[in-house]
This record gives sequence, C-alpha cells and structure tokens, in this order.
Amino acid sequence: MLLNSFLLLAGLLFCIGVYGVLVRRNGIMVLMSVELILNSVNINLVAFGAFHGDVGGEVFALFVIAVAAAEVGIGLAIVLLMYRNRLTTDFAEADMLKG
Amino acid sequence: MSDLLVAQNVFFGLIAVVMLVSAVRCVTTRNVVHAALWLVLVFAGSAALFILLGSEFVAVTQVLVYIGAIIVLFLFGVMLTRASMGDDASVASEKRAMAALVAVLLAAVMGLALFDSFSDTRLVIDEPQRFGVVSDAIFSQYIVAFEAVSVLLLAALIGAIVIARKD
Amino acid sequence: MTRFLAQTSPVADSTTSVVTPSIDFLGLLPVLLLTAGAVLLLMFRSLIPPPMNLSSPMKTSSVKRLFSFETAWMFVLAVGGLVTVVVQWFRVQDEGPIAVFGSEFASDGLALFAAAVILISVAAVALLLPRFCEQAQIKKAELYVLLMLSAAGGVVMTGANDLIVMFLGLETLSIALYVMVALNRHGLMSIEAGIKYFVLGSFSSAFFLYGIAMIYSTTGTTRISGINAFFADYIVLRDGVLLTGLALLLVGLCFKVASVPFHAWLPDVYQMAPTPITAFMASAVKVAGFAALMRVIVLALGERAHNWQPAVFVLASATLLLGAILATVQNNIKRLLAYSSISHAGFMLVGVQAASHEGVAAVLFYLAVYAVISLGSFTIVSLLTGPDGDGDSATVASAAGLASRKPLLTAAFVVLLLAQAGIPLTSGFMSKFYVISAAVEARSFWLAVVAIVSAVITAFAYLRIVVSMYFTSDIPATADDGIPSDVDTVKDCHSDIPVAADTGKGDNLERPLTAAHLTTLKLGIPAGKGDPLTGAERLPIGAVVVVSVAVVVTLLVGVLPSPLVSLALDASANLLGSIP
Repeated sequence: MLLNSFLLLAGLLFCIGVYGVLVRRNGIMVLMSVELILNSVNINLVAFGAFHGDVGGEVFALFVIAVAAAEVGIGLAIVLLMYRNRLTTDFAEADMLKG
Repeated sequence: MSDLLVAQNVFFGLIAVVMLVSAVRCVTTRNVVHAALWLVLVFAGSAALFILLGSEFVAVTQVLVYIGAIIVLFLFGVMLTRASMGDDASVASEKRAMAALVAVLLAAVMGLALFDSFSDTRLVIDEPQRFGVVSDAIFSQYIVAFEAVSVLLLAALIGAIVIARKD
Repeated sequence: MTRFLAQTSPVADSTTSVVTPSIDFLGLLPVLLLTAGAVLLLMFRSLIPPPMNLSSPMKTSSVKRLFSFETAWMFVLAVGGLVTVVVQWFRVQDEGPIAVFGSEFASDGLALFAAAVILISVAAVALLLPRFCEQAQIKKAELYVLLMLSAAGGVVMTGANDLIVMFLGLETLSIALYVMVALNRHGLMSIEAGIKYFVLGSFSSAFFLYGIAMIYSTTGTTRISGINAFFADYIVLRDGVLLTGLALLLVGLCFKVASVPFHAWLPDVYQMAPTPITAFMASAVKVAGFAALMRVIVLALGERAHNWQPAVFVLASATLLLGAILATVQNNIKRLLAYSSISHAGFMLVGVQAASHEGVAAVLFYLAVYAVISLGSFTIVSLLTGPDGDGDSATVASAAGLASRKPLLTAAFVVLLLAQAGIPLTSGFMSKFYVISAAVEARSFWLAVVAIVSAVITAFAYLRIVVSMYFTSDIPATADDGIPSDVDTVKDCHSDIPVAADTGKGDNLERPLTAAHLTTLKLGIPAGKGDPLTGAERLPIGAVVVVSVAVVVTLLVGVLPSPLVSLALDASANLLGSIP
C-alpha cells in the first residue's frame, strides 16, 4: 500500500469537512462536518504512526477521539440551548458569519 | 505476501470509495438524520482503515465511541430539536460555490504537498499493533496527556450540564 | 531485538517493557491545585448550597461581596499556584530548563513566566466574579469551577513540551470558555456569541490538529524539544507536507490569538461574554495562546524561521492596521477595547516575528503588561453604566462627563487607556518599545514602522474615550437642557438602583448641582465607600482592588521597567530547546 493513498483520502475528507462547515447552517450539521475533519486527522495520525513504526500516532488518535466526543457534547448542549431560546438550530439566522 | 498486498489494496479502494461518497452525501444531504447515517458509514470506513493499518485498538475505540456514542448523541440532538428534523435551510448558491472553491483549492494544495513529500513511500504492515504496546505507551510516555484528557472530559461534562440544565 | 522477543514471548515482554516516567510533582502542582480545587469546590457547593440571600443585591454587604467562599478559595489556590511557580522559577534559574514527565512537560522560563501571568489573572478575576454572579443571579459555583479548569488548561498549554499535551490543554481552555461566554445575561446575544466562538474555535482546533499530524509525519515525534532537535540535525528537502503542516498550525493558533484574517469571532465574543470572563480572555487566554505560539513556531520550528517569518510578517501587519482602524470607529467601549486587543495581538506578533531571544522576552513582557492593563480596563468597563444600565452597553457617548461623576475611576481609566496607547511613563510604552526594538534588531524595519503607525492610530481611539469623559458635557449641562435624555444620564450615575435614581432626579429639580457636589454625592470613591445618605451604589471592593493594583503596576512598570524586563529576559534565556 502507498502511504499517499491514505493521506490523500484523509486530505479529501478534510476538504469535504471544511466545505461542510462553510456551507451548513444547521448547527447539528456544522458539528457533523467538524467531526468529519477530526476523523480525517485520525486517519492521518494512524497512517503516520504506522509509517514511523511509532505508537505515538495511535495514542494521539485515541486522544483525538476523546476530544471529539467532548466537543460534540458541548456543541449539542449549545445547540439545545439555542433551540430552547429561539426554536431554531439555524446558526446562520443568528448573524452567524463564518469569518 | 503479494496476495496480502493485493487484498489490502483492493479493500482500501473499496473502503475509500464508500467513505468519499458517504462524506460528500453527509455534507450535501438536506435531511439531518440522513446526514448522521451517512456519517456512520464514514466512521465505519475509518475503523476499517485502522484495521488495515494494523491499529486494532483504535479501530475498536472508533466503533465504540464514534458510532456507539457520538452518532447516538447526534440523533438525540436531532430528536430534542424537532424543528430541524426536516430540510436544512437553503444556502445561496454563491456561498456554495465559494465554499467549494475553498475546498478544492485546499485539496489541490494538500495533494501537491503530499506528492512532493511522499510520492512513492510504501507502507508495509505485516502484523497488527498489539494492545499492550498502546496501553504501555499511554500509561508511561503519554501519562500527562492521559491526565489532561481526564481534565478535558471533566470540563466538558460540567460545561454541558451547566449549559443544558433548565433553571 | 525487543520486537523479535515480543513476537516469541509476549508475556515476558508485556511485563518488563514499561518504563514509567518519574513524576515531578512540583512541576505539576499549579495544574493540580487548579483542577483539584475546582473539583473540591464543585463537590462542596453541591453538598452545601450557598445561602439564599444572594438573589437580592442590596442585602449582601460589600465585605461579603469580596469574600464569598468561592472567591476566597479561588484566590488562595491561584496564589498557592503562584508560589509553586516561583519555587520552580528558582529551580530553573539554578539547574536550567528541564523536561519533566518523560519530557512531556517543560519546566522552563517561558512556561513559568506565562503560568505566573495566568495565575495572577485568575486571582484578579476571582475578585471580580462575585459581583457578576450576583447581578446575573448565578447562585451556583459553576462559573468559578469552569474558570479554574480553563486556567488549568491554559497552564498545561504553556508548559506543554508535546504537541498532544498542548492540544489537550488548548481544548480544555477552549471548551470551558465556550460555556462561560454563553452564560452572560444577554440571553440570545450571549448564546450567539458562544455559538460563534464554539464553531470557529472547534474549526480552528481541527486545523491545528491537522497541522500537528503533518509535522508529525515529517519528524516522527510530537515532542517539541524532539522536533527542535530533529530540525537541528536534518534538513528536509521534500518539504511540501512540512510547509502545509506549518501553515495549518499557524492558522489554528492565529485563530486562538485572533490575528487578523482569523479575528472575526473576537469582537462579538469579547462584547457578549461576562465582563470578568472577557478580562480573563484578554489576559490569561491571550498569554496561553502566545506562549503556545512561541513554543511551536519559535522553538519547535525555529530552524524553519525563513519559511514562517514572511507569513507572520503579513499577519502581524494586517493585525496591527486593521485592529487599529476598526478600533477607532467603534462606539461601544467594550467593543472598542476588544478591537484594540486585536491590535495588541499584532504588536505581540511583531515580537514573535523576530524569532530571537529578544523577541521572546519582548513578547513575554508585553503579555504581562497587557494582561495587567486589560484586567484593569475591563474591570472598569464592568463598573460603567451604559444606556442599558450595565457596562456592556456603555458607549463613548454615554461616558460623557464621567470625570465629574466618578473622578477617581475616570483617572484610573485614563491611566490604563494611555498605557494601552503607549504613552511614555506607562508600562504600555515600554512594552511597545521592546517589541519594536526586537523587530529592528531582527531587521524587520517595515514591521517596526507599521507598528508605530498602528500605535498612533489606536491612540486616537483611546483619546476619543478620554475626551468624552473629560471634555464633553456632563450632568449639570444636560440637566439644564431638560430634555428626556438627562433622566437617562442621571440614572447612569446611580447605576442600576432605581430608588437612588429617583432621589437624584429630585435633587436635580430642587437645587442646582455643581459637578463637585455630584461627585461627593454619588461617589466619594476612596476604597469604594458609597454615600450612605443617598444610597448610591458602592463600588465593589474586589473591582476597586483590581483596578488600583492594575493602575499602580502600570505606572510602576512604566517608570521602573527593569525588574520585569530582567524577569522576561531570564525567562527567554532559559528555554527548553534552542532558538537558532
């Protein structure tokens, strides 16, 4: 297997995720796109770990999974709070400029 | 050995196609629930890739945490915010074009960089990484990171409760 | 050999191969104190809820406002952490910088200096929080707990000698902040600011993470001292991935320190967050961000300075100019200070761009000085009263005539604003001076010129506030006009107590008021003693302490900068890893 095939796949997923964050207005969908990006990072990390024969890449990937879970928790709590306050999950409606 | 290599390449190709299609559907579908389900396929695909890369522990964690917990959390989020069950509000086509342009440019830059650095680097994986090695590393070299993650999860836990609690 | 053994006899391998690192508890103590303190506070408050009378502002005495249990607890822990940092500082002075915990954590000048500033700002914010919690009717200890966890993340970030640990520290810091920003009383507006911060923050974290992965691909290690050593030993020829990683890391960190193309979140978040949290963000979070930036860019990737210096040059110029120009057109004071903090970040980037020991020392000095100034300034903002009756809505126009109503407060504000503008004899001047001279030494003359131009432009923004406070119409003048707006103005000076506003109006009608009379009537300030007869609001003691300390330090460092400068130089001389 070529290392590059994994890296390219991860890069494409990253770009798809970036597209999603930029385009999505629904808060939950923005979160999903962020998860897509974090997942692509994991593929990179594990591939590089295998490439270097270093366990650090895998360990890092595990930590990233934990962080992703934490971020989703907080993100959904915020979406919920917003929904409760204005009955929408549309970030863009709230003058949400993605700068 | 070459049989194994062929099998690895074939499976990689299959997984990659599934993942890319699901990812694209995930960011373009107008239904939140569908997006979450497409995301499941992406996550499952990465778990398969991790097995291909010999990282069984990460693959298992990926399935448990991402598919078992995060997707379920997303679906709960969708259920609790009923208003967004249906279609995502439409987005101006210029904005879509701009975002697509950014993504394509980013992909081009990354592709060039990858071909510059790793054009023909091969990965040889003939045995899986053993669980014990991973756990040894976590609890020796990366012990501070492990503790930091626990603090992070504590902060997230408190924060989520503080935000979502009804007063 | 061990790998071969591992295949043949797995049991023997798994029992013998683990080498646990020695635990240096002294190095961990600041983080440990904050985290354990937060957990204990959370448990304590869930077992013993606070007395219920907190809900009505009038019943609590000002003494109690300062010494709420949470405040005392947080203050003591921050000071305790500071003591352990000082002990470590002397160890570093004696033994040089050391890596602890199997070199995952650094105990060096940069880490300790930054940790000290973070802990000082935690102590200061501890004094400000009781008043906010009281006004926002937050009865539980959650804000304190989150703040301590956030600060713990910041300390981890400054000391991280491993990109993994740095990322985790960054995330801890950020996640607690996302929550705290959304907790302000503006309801929807605060939630929106929280959402904006969350989306952009997690987006930038992902970029940062991708950058780490790219760097890891090249170096095979995530240890910062290891990366530093790698680039000292090897020259990477096919460096496409390395450069992409560098760019992504830079983007991620520039989001966190709000450098210009990535600053869009900052004004809204600073304005909508609770003011004590804004002060925390402008001081501690900025310190953590820049400490991390310097460790990654200047230390880990110092050998590739020729790659990132041009990028930082552009970022710094854009940040300096845009932050300054946008600050001048703001009307809301809190928002104005937010934009000015962007231009301050530009000054710090100037020091980073120098990529030298002098540059690091100058940035550390700037960070310490700006942390003190911003803590003081935002505290004063929280004491102002704008059209909506609180500091968040105070505008340049609504500050008109403040000098005659609150002379001491105004004087303090003027000192801090002049320090931000970089007027000589204030610490702000010295900090700008050192940053610019570091840039000149690094032969970045144009950047030095841009920095000076930006300083001149922002000075205009600060002077607008000063002019409004001192030279525009004050109460007696507007009272003569008899237009409805004067009721608002009178209410202004009585803060948010309607009863007091009524008596004030009565006063206005019955007898002519001189500025001096108003001053003694409403705010015989010294140490926050309100006038008992009129019932005008006392200034909360915590805020008075913070502001007076900030003003004294600002002036003292402005006149006698050498002690702090030598501390910053010592810090930059004891770095883990070498600047080429």
